[in-house]
Amino acid sequence: MTKKQGARTNERSATTTEAAAPNREVKVSLDAWAVALALITSLLVWTGVIKHIPW
Amino acid sequence: MASTAVVSPSYPLDLFKRAARILPGLLLLAAVGYAGKLVERSIALYGRAHHLTLPNIEYVLWAILIGLAIANTVGIPKLFQPGLLTYEFWLKAGIVLLGSRFLLGDVLKLGGASLVLVAIEIAASLAFMTALGRAFGLKPKLTTLLAVGSSICGVSAIIAAQGAIDADEEDSSFAIAAVLALGAIALFTFPLVGHWLHLNDLSYGLWAGLGIDNTAEVTAAGALYSDAAAKIAVLAKTARNAMIGFVVLGYALYWSRKEHTGGVGNKAAFLWAKFPKFVLGFLLISVLATASVFSKDQLGSLANLSRWAFLLTFAGVGLRTNIREMLKQGARPFIVGALGEIAIAFLTLGLVYGAGKFLH
Repeated sequence: MTKKQGARTNERSATTTEAAAPNREVKVSLDAWAVALALITSLLVWTGVIKHIPW
Repeated sequence: MASTAVVSPSYPLDLFKRAARILPGLLLLAAVGYAGKLVERSIALYGRAHHLTLPNIEYVLWAILIGLAIANTVGIPKLFQPGLLTYEFWLKAGIVLLGSRFLLGDVLKLGGASLVLVAIEIAASLAFMTALGRAFGLKPKLTTLLAVGSSICGVSAIIAAQGAIDADEEDSSFAIAAVLALGAIALFTFPLVGHWLHLNDLSYGLWAGLGIDNTAEVTAAGALYSDAAAKIAVLAKTARNAMIGFVVLGYALYWSRKEHTGGVGNKAAFLWAKFPKFVLGFLLISVLATASVFSKDQLGSLANLSRWAFLLTFAGVGLRTNIREMLKQGARPFIVGALGEIAIAFLTLGLVYGAGKFLH
């Protein structure tokens, strides 16, 4: 694989967020993971599961 | 933006292995970040105990300096590398949680003002960097990558543009090294200049958000100045990040026409793919905070969670900065980048002074 092809492959994987059909793997971007983690922790704080976060 | 993770629900063992791979580096991030916090606290306690007035150096600077010292003396073994790369993940999670400290009205007012400034900054810096690259005889695609990196959002923008314009990996490495080196310099010079000019938190935050390239360095440079400045800096930088898709699309169209390649296909899908999704998360949390979904204590907890996430990021900024590697990259891209950054710093400072009259 040439460097350009490698770069294109990297870019494709970097921007893909849709499901990849053949092996049923779901590709999730780093951004989406970060948003999911932040929203889940916010939910845990809102529901009182996490009572207090000190600094 | 630059990385992906693959979720395979049928392979929990694989997921476990991935978690095990990032654990050492993650622990190193936490240890370095917490060490920075301990050093800040110890100095304050020592000063109080001995009735001394010592300068209050924030944990941000200590975490970065400890990280820099480790990375550039003993080095970072490979075992820690996967976990270290998660610093960008913590940065984005921290920005989303930071949305809890903004009322939507502030976001719209400051974000709207930032967008106007961002549009001027991007147009001016793209034009200036392109002219500078031509004057120094840099390869056109390297010039494009440097222009995108310095005008929008550093490394993420360069990686996004690299694929879109089909640039060589060498060009991308040059541009990333230049942007990281200049970001490290800006991280220390912006707070000094800001204090020297007696900029208030709003003006300094806007200036750092518009003038520094990489989001991690923007957040750190803001936090080095003050907590309030960090908030504004992150907001201005988030507005800048939101423009990444449009600029990369413009360059993708330009290069596909120039090289007679197939174009970019569906433009809306292209824009969505390049759009930083954490901006939406930030806005969502801000909407929830504005709607009083969270109590005051809960908002405090979310703000502290954001600080912990940034603590890991600041440690990562120091640990991933390898000065020897940066020096190997050659002088010309660095000189072009440095001249461009200085010009952008002056331009954005002027913009901030102008905007200050309307934002107070």
